[in-house]
Amino acid sequence: MRERDEIPPGTLEMLILTTLASGPAKHGFEIAESILSISDDVLQVEEGSLYPALQRLLLKGWICGDWGKTEENRRARFYRLTPEGRKQLEREVERYQRVAQAIARVLASA
Amino acid sequence: MSFNEWKRRIAGIFSRGEAARQLEDEIRLHLELRARKLRQEGFAADEAQYAAQRRFGNRLAAAEASAQIWQISQWRAIERLLVDFRQAFRSLRKAPGFTAVSLLTLALGLGMNVAVFSLVDAVMLRSLPYEDPDQLVSLWEENTKQQPAQFSNSGTAFGAAAPAQRTPVSPANLADYAGCGAFSGLASQDGASKSLTGLGTPEQLTGEEVSANFFDVLRVKPALGRTFFPEEDRDGAPKVVILTEYFWRSRMGSGTDVLMRSVTLDAQEYQIVGVLPAGFQSPNQLTTPDRVEFYVPIAYPQELLANRGDHEVNVIARLRPGMRMNQAQADLNVISANLGKQFPATNRNIRTAIAPLRDDLVRNVRQALWILLGASALIVLIACVNLANLMLVRATRRQHESSVRMALGAARSSLVRYFLIESLALAGGGCVAGLALGFVFMRLLVWLAPQSIPRIQNVTMDWQVFAAAAAVALLTGLVFGAAPAWQSSQAKPAEALKTASRGTAAPAQARWRSVLTAAEIALSLILLVGAGLLFHSFVRVSGMDLGFQPERVLALGVNLPQQRYPNADRRLAFFEELERRVTSLPGVESAGFANRLPLRGGWSSGIRLEASPDVLRTPGCQAVSPGYFETLGIGLQHGRLLVASDRHGQPNVAVVNQAFARQYLTGADPIGRRFQRSQQPWVTIVGVVNDIRRSGKTGEINPQVYLPAAQTELYPVHLADFAVRARTEPRQLVNAVQHEVWSIDKDQPVTNVRTLDEIISRSIDERRFEMVLLIAFAAIAVLLAMIGIFGVLSYIVSQRIGELGIRVALGASSGRILSLVLRQAGGWIFIGIAAGLGGAFALTRYLQSLLFGVQQIDPWTYGAAVAVLLAVSLAAAMIPARRGARVDPVRALRYE
Repeated sequence: MRERDEIPPGTLEMLILTTLASGPAKHGFEIAESILSISDDVLQVEEGSLYPALQRLLLKGWICGDWGKTEENRRARFYRLTPEGRKQLEREVERYQRVAQAIARVLASA
Repeated sequence: MSFNEWKRRIAGIFSRGEAARQLEDEIRLHLELRARKLRQEGFAADEAQYAAQRRFGNRLAAAEASAQIWQISQWRAIERLLVDFRQAFRSLRKAPGFTAVSLLTLALGLGMNVAVFSLVDAVMLRSLPYEDPDQLVSLWEENTKQQPAQFSNSGTAFGAAAPAQRTPVSPANLADYAGCGAFSGLASQDGASKSLTGLGTPEQLTGEEVSANFFDVLRVKPALGRTFFPEEDRDGAPKVVILTEYFWRSRMGSGTDVLMRSVTLDAQEYQIVGVLPAGFQSPNQLTTPDRVEFYVPIAYPQELLANRGDHEVNVIARLRPGMRMNQAQADLNVISANLGKQFPATNRNIRTAIAPLRDDLVRNVRQALWILLGASALIVLIACVNLANLMLVRATRRQHESSVRMALGAARSSLVRYFLIESLALAGGGCVAGLALGFVFMRLLVWLAPQSIPRIQNVTMDWQVFAAAAAVALLTGLVFGAAPAWQSSQAKPAEALKTASRGTAAPAQARWRSVLTAAEIALSLILLVGAGLLFHSFVRVSGMDLGFQPERVLALGVNLPQQRYPNADRRLAFFEELERRVTSLPGVESAGFANRLPLRGGWSSGIRLEASPDVLRTPGCQAVSPGYFETLGIGLQHGRLLVASDRHGQPNVAVVNQAFARQYLTGADPIGRRFQRSQQPWVTIVGVVNDIRRSGKTGEINPQVYLPAAQTELYPVHLADFAVRARTEPRQLVNAVQHEVWSIDKDQPVTNVRTLDEIISRSIDERRFEMVLLIAFAAIAVLLAMIGIFGVLSYIVSQRIGELGIRVALGASSGRILSLVLRQAGGWIFIGIAAGLGGAFALTRYLQSLLFGVQQIDPWTYGAAVAVLLAVSLAAAMIPARRGARVDPVRALRYE
């Protein structure tokens, strides 16, 4: 088995939001692929867990999904960020950076 | 959680299936795309598909997790509960016999209780419809020695009688009581009946005479106009009246000029000064079905206020805020004691008592209602025992099922949960059915109940009753579900599965069931004995000989108003004319009149016999016409009856009854003896008639004096009752007699038209009601006990069917098998009967006050109750026992 890091909780949602923040609307497989590419395979997820996360984001109203056709003319749901989702992403990034800086300071002072 | 999020969640509930399908599509697409990618990376086709699935992880888990996100977390528990309930319903449906019997048991028990509780609640527990009703008390006087000679026109002392010593209040004492600091107000009230003329046909109306502050004490404001002024409540003041809303609406068309108008009551003009709000009921109205239509000032005459010995009125008082009953009573005791010292002749033995108005109004039915409530509680108890029994049987029967479930890995807790939910489902169903049945029972109760029960028409089912029923049902479900639930969770799968496919009951469970069945029998026996005692007592009452023949006798009240008939001779002339006319009507056998007919009140007076002038006797005294004896069927013993020639100017004569001779003359012949009413002329006794029970079947036989109505100077009471003996159906004569009254005086109403049979039947209404109810309760109890016996024995037989089959195969006769099974039931039946007899001895003591002519320990009743229960129990046991006896050994053994 390949060495794999556990994803910290909430991170998957943030990754999805980040993926959707730029570029066109994506369907589930594309989201999974782009997460893999951003995270250099380190954060390789059990791909199935992507879908509950998407549902959670739908419920929160941060993303919305529209049914459309892929290039190969397959029916798929394309997700994109809502304005609220964009705000949420900014909040998340800001929070993450705050925490990261704090941790960095702690580590620096040690 | 934001509002939008809730909106999405709730919308999600309705598109759950759609969402699942969409997710399915997405996942499928994902897997295909991944597999294609892997193929492009060089995997073989099937390998790629497998790897895609592996990378995706648990597909179902992902779908479920996705769906769960949309669920509202509290709902998850509810949904699971619903699933459990659905499962419970399904398994209950699979056992229709058990389910039907359990539901019926619960419904009967709850329904009875709900109905009786509604009745008790409306009659005894609910607050009176006045402001601060807890401050209202009823006040009366009690004679601590013996009853003084007095007038009494209230002829309704049937059923459970009020304390014998209680008397109305003497108006002369009222001012002293009103001075008591404990009360913020003290109002007096008396019934009044007046004839209304000038508004359609003349009619006798029921009203009340009240003191000026009556409405203030009750804190009732009139809807129109005002209440009485104190100066209107004086003898000789201008006549004023306050109308009820009913009178105003139905007789005056709710005219707005009502305060400018007057009405004619007893030939006198009464100025209308107020109209009461709709729905107002005076405390007295709560106890009678007769509609009170008007209120007039009570305006005591001076001579009444001068005589403290004259007890006339009912009193309602309002306690000052914060004043306690016993404080007020203590204050009153001081006042009574002072009055006793000041006026020893009239007040020496008079004590004043108070009680909360609400309790006092129901004093006659209180005990009976508590007994009914107790009886219905016993029914619930029996129902619960029955249910526990049935549940235990069912749990035992399902032990095998429980064991299999457990062997397959079901947790004990989920088994307990399963059984609990099943019994809760039953309890819920029983609750609904019980409420529905209770509503029917309640209607039936109200319909059956005698009108004399206060507020009987106000009986309704309210949310309290619903809540109580639901609570009882829930409790029943939990308690009686817990036992089998626990039992099933104790199942030892290995052992249970080792035994035959049908689990056999452990001895402990069998013992429990027997105890429960014995308890049921005991409880039913208590109810049976109670019902039997009331029944026996009712038979005794019904069989009482009245001493006169009430059949085919019609009684009518003709209250001649003082204004038009100012003296006794005028009244006599009216009645003699009426008697003459009515006697000649076709279908009339005879007619007569009196001040009051038997069962309709009467008069008693102090007399002194010439032979013993020092002793004051108080026989009942009636002024009667010569036709009275024939019309009522009162037989002459010896001497002569009163005749038409016993008139004014002739020697004063009287007829007495046997009790008079027995009690006053130690059996000596009364004929020729003379007596005197205080300073009145001497009267010679000329005849003896047989004894009658004047006040009805449960009444005493009292000494009676019959004075000739035509010797008007001999009596102070008014002639007011007319009796007609019909040849056939007395009711057919009503119109003809009424017509004769109107042809003598077109303004004269006729009141209180009843046949004597109706009056007698009504006088035992309360007894009949109590008896019918208790018999119904006992019947239900016995039915439940039968179900219990039947259920348990059926079960036992089905358990022993193999054994019985072997016995039959080995040559046991079916009679032997029958007795074998019956013997098993016999044990607990006898234990139940023994316990029930003990319980009945202990509990029927509370019935004593409702019994007449029957001892609480009446061997006949006890014997009959035991016999009935034995017969019924054996019948219930017989059915399963016979099935056992008819066992076909071949089939039974194969079954094993």
